[in-house]
Amino acid sequence: MTTQRRSTPASPHNDVKIVRTFPRFTVSQRWEHGLLLLSIAVLLFTGLPQKFKTTAWSQTLISTPERLETIQQIHHIAALVLTALVLYHLGKAIYLIARRKLPGEILFSMQDIKDAWNMLLYLVFIKKQKPAFGKYNFEQKVTYWFLFFSIGIMITSGYVMWFPEVVTRIIPGGIIPAAIMAHSTEAIVTFIFIVLWHFYHVHIERLNLSIFSGWLNEDDMRAYHSNEYNRLMRRPRPDQEPGDLKS
Amino acid sequence: MRFGSKKSLIYLVCVVIFISLAASVSERTGVIASPGDQAARNLPILPSDLTSAGPIVSNDVCLGCHGTPGLSMTLLNGDVLDLYVNPDNYANSVHGQGGYACVQCHTNLGEYPHPLFTAPSLRDATLDLTLSCDRCHSGEYNLTMDSVHYDKLAIGIKEAAVCTDCHGSHDVHRWTDPDTNTLLPDARLDIPITCSRCHFAIYQKYRESVHGAALTDEANTDVPTCIDCHGVHNIGNPTTAVFRLKSPQLCAGCHTDPSLMDKYGISTNVLNTYVSDFHGTTVTLFEKQSPDSQTNKPVCYDCHGIHDISKVDDPETGIEMQQNLLVRCKECHLDATSNFPNAWMSHYNPSPEHYPLVYYVNLFYKVFIPLVLGGMGALVVMDVGHTVYVKTRRKKSTQIKSTAEVSPPPPDEITPTQSPLEQDSEEGQHE
Repeated sequence: MTTQRRSTPASPHNDVKIVRTFPRFTVSQRWEHGLLLLSIAVLLFTGLPQKFKTTAWSQTLISTPERLETIQQIHHIAALVLTALVLYHLGKAIYLIARRKLPGEILFSMQDIKDAWNMLLYLVFIKKQKPAFGKYNFEQKVTYWFLFFSIGIMITSGYVMWFPEVVTRIIPGGIIPAAIMAHSTEAIVTFIFIVLWHFYHVHIERLNLSIFSGWLNEDDMRAYHSNEYNRLMRRPRPDQEPGDLKS
Repeated sequence: MRFGSKKSLIYLVCVVIFISLAASVSERTGVIASPGDQAARNLPILPSDLTSAGPIVSNDVCLGCHGTPGLSMTLLNGDVLDLYVNPDNYANSVHGQGGYACVQCHTNLGEYPHPLFTAPSLRDATLDLTLSCDRCHSGEYNLTMDSVHYDKLAIGIKEAAVCTDCHGSHDVHRWTDPDTNTLLPDARLDIPITCSRCHFAIYQKYRESVHGAALTDEANTDVPTCIDCHGVHNIGNPTTAVFRLKSPQLCAGCHTDPSLMDKYGISTNVLNTYVSDFHGTTVTLFEKQSPDSQTNKPVCYDCHGIHDISKVDDPETGIEMQQNLLVRCKECHLDATSNFPNAWMSHYNPSPEHYPLVYYVNLFYKVFIPLVLGGMGALVVMDVGHTVYVKTRRKKSTQIKSTAEVSPPPPDEITPTQSPLEQDSEEGQHE
């Protein structure tokens, strides 16, 4: 993890403000998020009308067999994109594990349970201070792992529904209606989760676009990821100015 | 001049009205009487007229010749038309019992000698005579014009059924109760035999089916006959997409009726379990949105059979036997293997006994959604509440500050690591 220093273009005035930015996501991670966003949006837009077939808005979309066919084809294409993305993500993780280079920041630890508990105490006005977080706070870890397992369930059940004849060669037929049930219900869960949890934390609580830009500014780092900020700032750097660090 | 033109205009209008009235009256009489026949012109048509006036030509006059067995004539194409009418048969028919006269159907015959049949063949004679039915039974007659039989007739297929093919001619039986206008139980037994006269291969299948066997062997009139599915006079084409998409509702008419199903121990959940499954949902959707669309999604008869419907637990053909159902699945799912039919929940609602996996997946989400997503929702609401509370409190404290002009910020407002500038971006982080 490196600390970047960037200065804003020199203003005509003398008050040159130094804005330090901290890289947060790699280019690959940002692309992964973009594709994930796109594929999940398409999957939801084409999947929900199939789930809520009895509603009027769905029936105007799926009014003929041809339209249903088209919607299913788009759904399948988006599913293939998502599958490729998941395979890439897992493949990269395995590669990094093999080289013992996988950063463990996203993994849950005891600290996250403590953080969540302290956050709860803070929210009910028992504690005065929000807990200090590392690179990923417990909310962000919940987001990652919730979607990780959601997508796991969606992909598994989705392929079971897509190739029922193949799947039932090995597994009893009862898996098909179970997959249908899981797929459609998990889709609703995922949809509610994204809107309720993810959108709240990245849009309403504060606008956090670091997954698109790749970096966080110093203020946000200090405010929301103070442990990580302190860890980075404590590390002595050859190009560091002595006055930069605050005690 | 102007006045005069107005007067002549009124006169003209009166004349026009008179003429049109007269024309309509003569038109009506034209309908009543058959063309050109003087005697028929006075002929009463409706039963009420009959009782008041009585027929001009009594049936005995006709039977004077036509009551002689063996009376016949040869038509243009060589067909021999039997002209004998069995007086007893007619007397026992619904028309005979009602005292209707021969000449009420045979409207072109009234005086002797009457004109001969001019129809070139037996079938043409029937087609000519069946037009008479319209005179009293126009409601039913009009319905037949919407039928698949009439469609065939219209394109020149003369064998297509007309009134007398099903109802008979001189021996028409009563099939409905005149008071309730519903089918008499005996009539139900007659119907499949009537249809079998043309549709014999289908009748044989029906005869062996669970419905047909109950009707024929046990005289059980709960079961559907041909007309319960195909309709009566306006029999539609059952091979159309419209019929296919509508068919589940047809079966459901009886199979969701507990008063019919309970005595046989048959579930009435068959429709809603079908509709809630994706095959059924799709069919229901298309039926509503585009009723004439072709779909390969199965309807009831794709699995249960069309005319050869058997009991689901029939050891040989019942589709409760997975290998029998597999045959049906394979109509669309060509690669299906023996596990595959079990993917269909056999009209069961998932329960710990039937399809436990589906039941527990559903149960899991019933707990998971309120618990986890509800918990997350609660956290978000608390977070919003906390932020709003802190903001409003800070606003108040700044108001107090500004009134106090210059007062240093309270020590707990700013932590030592913060400069006052950063405070805004930190919203609610510290108090």
